Amino acid sequence: MSSDTLPIPLRVSNKTAYVWDVDDIATIRSQHRLCGVLTGTLPHLSQQNVFLGVPLILFPEEAALLVDIGAAVLVDDPAAYKQPTVPQLERWSAEQQESVNTQATYNETKVAKENQSGRAISEEALRKRKEREERKRTQAAAKAAAEALEGGTSADALFAPTEPQLQTPSVSDPTSSSAEGSKKSNLPYTIVIPASSSSLEWYDASDCTYATIESARKAGIWDYPATLSERARCGVFKDLWKQGYFMGGGIKFGGEYLVYPGDPLRYHSHFAASVLESPLASLHPMEIVAHGRLGTATKKAHLLCGWDDDKQEVSYLSVEWAGFG
Amino acid sequence: MDDSLEKPSSLFPKTPLTDEAPEDDEQLSDEEDGGLDWTKLLPPSARPIIPRRGEKEFEPRSGGGTNLQLHVLDRSRLAMFDTLRATRTISSKAVSYAVWHPDISRSHVTVARGIHFSNMGHSAPRSVQGEDGTSKMQRRLELLPEEAIYLIERGSVFCWKKSDLEFGELPGLSDVSGTPMTVQQAFSEMIGKEDLTIEKFQVYAYLKRLGYVVTRTDPPDSYYPIPPNLSVSKTTPIMQRIKTLFASWMSTLVQAVAPAFNWWKPVSLSHWLHHDKKYLSLFQSMRFIPSGHSTLPTIQSNVTTPYRIFYNVYKPSTPFKKSAPPPPDFQLVVVNARTAPMPSLQELSDLFDILPEAPLPTPRQRRPPTCAANNAPATPPTRETPARIASSPLAEKSLVRRMFPWLFFATPPAPPMPARRPNPFMALKSGKKIVIVAAVDSSNTSFFRFSQGEFTEWPMV
Repeated sequence: MSSDTLPIPLRVSNKTAYVWDVDDIATIRSQHRLCGVLTGTLPHLSQQNVFLGVPLILFPEEAALLVDIGAAVLVDDPAAYKQPTVPQLERWSAEQQESVNTQATYNETKVAKENQSGRAISEEALRKRKEREERKRTQAAAKAAAEALEGGTSADALFAPTEPQLQTPSVSDPTSSSAEGSKKSNLPYTIVIPASSSSLEWYDASDCTYATIESARKAGIWDYPATLSERARCGVFKDLWKQGYFMGGGIKFGGEYLVYPGDPLRYHSHFAASVLESPLASLHPMEIVAHGRLGTATKKAHLLCGWDDDKQEVSYLSVEWAGFG
Repeated sequence: MDDSLEKPSSLFPKTPLTDEAPEDDEQLSDEEDGGLDWTKLLPPSARPIIPRRGEKEFEPRSGGGTNLQLHVLDRSRLAMFDTLRATRTISSKAVSYAVWHPDISRSHVTVARGIHFSNMGHSAPRSVQGEDGTSKMQRRLELLPEEAIYLIERGSVFCWKKSDLEFGELPGLSDVSGTPMTVQQAFSEMIGKEDLTIEKFQVYAYLKRLGYVVTRTDPPDSYYPIPPNLSVSKTTPIMQRIKTLFASWMSTLVQAVAPAFNWWKPVSLSHWLHHDKKYLSLFQSMRFIPSGHSTLPTIQSNVTTPYRIFYNVYKPSTPFKKSAPPPPDFQLVVVNARTAPMPSLQELSDLFDILPEAPLPTPRQRRPPTCAANNAPATPPTRETPARIASSPLAEKSLVRRMFPWLFFATPPAPPMPARRPNPFMALKSGKKIVIVAAVDSSNTSFFRFSQGEFTEWPMV
């Protein structure tokens, strides 16, 4: 939180605060003790939901807190994309081309090295593989033809593989239309799909950056906290955060937050906290039973946090299932 | 992974992922509490294993934790940040290309490669400028915003943004006439278009990552293929509701005009005064008049409800043909848990009104051998047969009854008596109509299943 570091830009679109740069994610987590939720698909681990990657989406409370303490600014993300100029695009294109060239030369040297060390596939093996593939292809063709003769019943199986081609009449020859299709297009190379926009030359957030919630609200990109319940959530969140706790989402535990004594990466949460909008808010006895029961069953105490909007204070009460008979 | 940093952590022995102590699983409540151990994701070069959970501690020692605690935490964080830094790379032979057209909220796929397009995207005719300046219609593959973002963020599609810029002879750019997009730009520009919210996208991506096929329930344009029977139900709900309203009104009319017919009502005055309220409960308890969900009084709710079916979901095993999708396995409502209250009964019954009836649950595979032995010689056919027989007349009847309940006033619903009835509790529990509600509380998604059980069709006697 030292004042000499630049505030973290929170990319706001559709009233949601995203963090796209991993260094910013690290700062927010390590220095500001805020976790947010990672929601993006992790590249190369894209068929699972256990580990997710950038973007980090901050709770609105977290974003409001970061802006409040001056650690972050809100950036109107859609407005930050300026119309790129032709020279900028030229430079971008040249960069891509250069990367392709570097990869090509790297691959060439690698292939050459492999050839020298005699690890390349021998002529004999190549010939055998070709024969094998040829055999497979004829078999598949014969099978397909037989199925086609059989008629309608097997049509589904036949259509399945050809369907994409049927539906994409405009797909032209990949090699000719691929963006970097050049003389090297016969060699595969790696394309990087950039995640963060900050490296783009035409991404300029200087005229759409807001240092306070108020200014962002006026610009119409952010409106949290607006209601009493949102203010209460922000107040409770900030108060717990000030005491050194980490907060996570508590919807699966019947509360607003889970309260962790340390980084949730390493520590269990102690409380499931629910926010009451005022110290006078009514509470059904059933809620106490439910909270106490669920909290205790999950080895947590349930924390009732009453927000006093006039005094800007929070009062806490924890419920545990005593379990006497 | 087995670096020297492991040495001091003998206090926290790395348990093999497969043999977790079962009592640990019992104690730990949810996937939330078993912390994600990012350290086990490294190194990225090796084939990554997804560990179920890492070990966590109760709390750091006061004053910020012991050195060991700090060390382990740092290692976890480093592993996490390193994994997050991984770039989206794809071979030029496998990448697909798309051009984002903000004006129509679609991404035009120019190069389609890979299996994703067997169940994503739809073809739409768009007018293209021919070389001689005339415009003609041409079908092309287009992606909805959520499909485009998903494919971009998993690193399968490189997306351009349509641009009117004069590109001249820029290599590679002149033929797409667009500017390159980042994942970030896709998120900020595509969400908010075509009814897509971040919550809906998160649910979409969550299910897609698990392999489900997810399509829109309401076609966003007229070229969007939807399941055949659903296209009918798109237009029916209002009609159906009017019909039910009309029918219930008719029935009151009939009752009023012909009191002699209604010999269950000795006091005809109270009928005018109390609007049948006393009798309704009486009749329902006796099940003499049609009862159940089909006869619930339908109130036209004018308030805008967040509970609207948004996605059709297909199991990965369901054969899916993109141009003619089958009836969905699940229908999904996505709500923002912070703004949407619990669904009211009215909202739920409105949802159930437009849902198709689910088939009876298939009996559990493992059955007690005695039961099978009793019936095996007599009825060798599959055990689904009695269930189907039982369900189809029921379903038919309820539909007709719903439309003209006064017609069926005098005929009590005959309970079906198949040779062997399926277990009523299974059918009651799974319900006749099922809707899944995905509640998203700032990126935490919980899925809930609401189903409408039909007790009147499963008499216990």
